[in-house]
Amino acid sequence: MSTIVSARGLTKKYGDFTAVDGIDFEIQEGECFGFLGPNGAGKTTTVRMIHCVSPVTAGTLTVDGSAAGVDNRALKKKTGVIPQEITLDIDLTVYENLLVFARFFDIPKREAKARIAELLKFVELETRRDSKIDQLSTGMKRRLLVARALLNKPRIIIADEPTTGLDPQARHLIWQRLRQLKAQGVTLILTTQYMEEAQQLCDRLVVMHQGKILKAGDPRGLIESEIGKDVVEIRMPPDRDEELLARLGPLACGHERVGDTLYFYCRDGIGLWKALVDLDLPNTVHRPATLEDVFLKLTGRSLIE
Amino acid sequence: MNLSYRIYHVFFRNLMSYKRFILTTFLVSLVQPLFYLITFGVGMGAYMGAFGGKPYLYFLVPGVLISSVMMSSTFECLYGTFVKIVHEHLYDSLIATPVSAEDAVAGDIAWASFRGLVSGILMLAVAGLMGILPVSVLSVLVLLLVMLAVGIMFASLGMIVTSKAPNFDFFSYYTELVITPMLFFSGVFFPLSNFPGWMKTLSQFLPLTHAVAISRAAFSGEYPPSILLNIAVVVGLGALAFVVGIRMMKKRLIK
Ligand SMILES: Nc1ncnc2c1ncn2[C@@H]1O[C@H](COP(=O)(O)OP(=O)(O)OP(=O)(O)O)[C@@H](O)[C@H]1O
Ligand SMILES: [Mg+2]
Repeated sequence: MSTIVSARGLTKKYGDFTAVDGIDFEIQEGECFGFLGPNGAGKTTTVRMIHCVSPVTAGTLTVDGSAAGVDNRALKKKTGVIPQEITLDIDLTVYENLLVFARFFDIPKREAKARIAELLKFVELETRRDSKIDQLSTGMKRRLLVARALLNKPRIIIADEPTTGLDPQARHLIWQRLRQLKAQGVTLILTTQYMEEAQQLCDRLVVMHQGKILKAGDPRGLIESEIGKDVVEIRMPPDRDEELLARLGPLACGHERVGDTLYFYCRDGIGLWKALVDLDLPNTVHRPATLEDVFLKLTGRSLIE
Repeated sequence: MNLSYRIYHVFFRNLMSYKRFILTTFLVSLVQPLFYLITFGVGMGAYMGAFGGKPYLYFLVPGVLISSVMMSSTFECLYGTFVKIVHEHLYDSLIATPVSAEDAVAGDIAWASFRGLVSGILMLAVAGLMGILPVSVLSVLVLLLVMLAVGIMFASLGMIVTSKAPNFDFFSYYTELVITPMLFFSGVFFPLSNFPGWMKTLSQFLPLTHAVAISRAAFSGEYPPSILLNIAVVVGLGALAFVVGIRMMKKRLIK
């Protein structure tokens, strides 16, 4: 596998504000690479630099062998973008949206028509061909954005929170399609706040926070190195913490108190769980560790605004 | 300037989005100039007698025609473009394709000047029905060129305003403080020769004055030497506004 995107000390400033703060990463051809992070982490800013609509302030960013930059038409030609905002042309129908977009890529009309028919089928919108955009549900709009991003048969697809605001059916359909594209060899760059999405799709990911990369790795590896295997949650006020920590602490490899909940992270939760049963506390949960635990541990459990 | 033939793709997008209500839009843009023709031309014209040997309408039509071009192209680049940037995020998806920000803005300027041109042509047809026509076919061709140049100039000036506009209200400063007064100080309704000296001087700084002068010359087929200055102003200011407008819009679009 060869490297298709590589960033060194990549930095983006808006005036005095640093949105992306000197990050390094490499994306391999054909993989699905995820940017995870809370609101304002700098995910969108980073991918906008990759697809050449936002200039790089400092550092280097190379995409498919050439430097990313707003005048790089060649790169834009081989990239497909599913934006975070729904940026469909509301003055046009579903079909016209795709037809106009195909022109932007200089796709000849005959070829465009065949491709549009194919893509409408791919995202299950054939029956909506002549609908106006405001007659579509959010799920349909997002699917249309997927179809639009595929018109130019891109080698790199950038999906910026592609399933935000969707119901489970629509979300799973989009995941299916993205996996299908990956199977065809397309490189997928995904940003998301949904841990399940990252776990479902990403081969490797980075966790971003306040413009910096906190951790990088594959989902399973990150969970194991950051959390362990199991999580035990005890929901109760902190007045008995000292006693609980004395008894259970040695059985866990880490703990955290957040609001009304005490978390224990364990390599093997069975021992701790047994001790907990003896204590006979109400409101306890024992579950496998997830990417969400990693995310919350790294970026903090309190609100970030 | 990263311009390419893709300007036409953007023009095409606009054409497609307008095709459903193209007739109404163009007819609506005729209302205001027609209103001027009827109230000033027919109403007041009755009291004004002959104007350089011809009825007042002959004086009025070339000016009103050019101001309808100015209005259409200006409004398209103010409200039309603003909606596309802010409410429809259209430019965001455009610049993610091989269409550059410059292409996108130039495509909108081209579209706005096209709208101006169509408004002007419709006005010309109306004037023709009233019996007021340019002297020759050549005059008509010159007029079309003038309308196109004036459209590009006012569309580009509109782009400059839009590049700084935080909201719709901002546009009324431009339309109320610049465009509307210009209509009355540019010799559209009355010959500039009757104005006091300071107003004559002021009018020389208004681009519409020069546009109207060319239009009037084209209609009559008589080109005074001062026409060269008029052409230089329209072409020069148009080219300058085009470049500056695109630059400033790019600054707004690319962050
Ligand atoms: N054009 C801009 N001008 C100034 N600041 C901006 C601009 N765009 C983004 N920012 C700021 O940069 C930071 C990173 O924004 P970005 O959109 O990249 O975050 P994100 O990780 O995509 O968040 P979200 O999950 O909310 O989409 C935020 O603090 C945001 O306010
Ligand atoms: Mg974002």
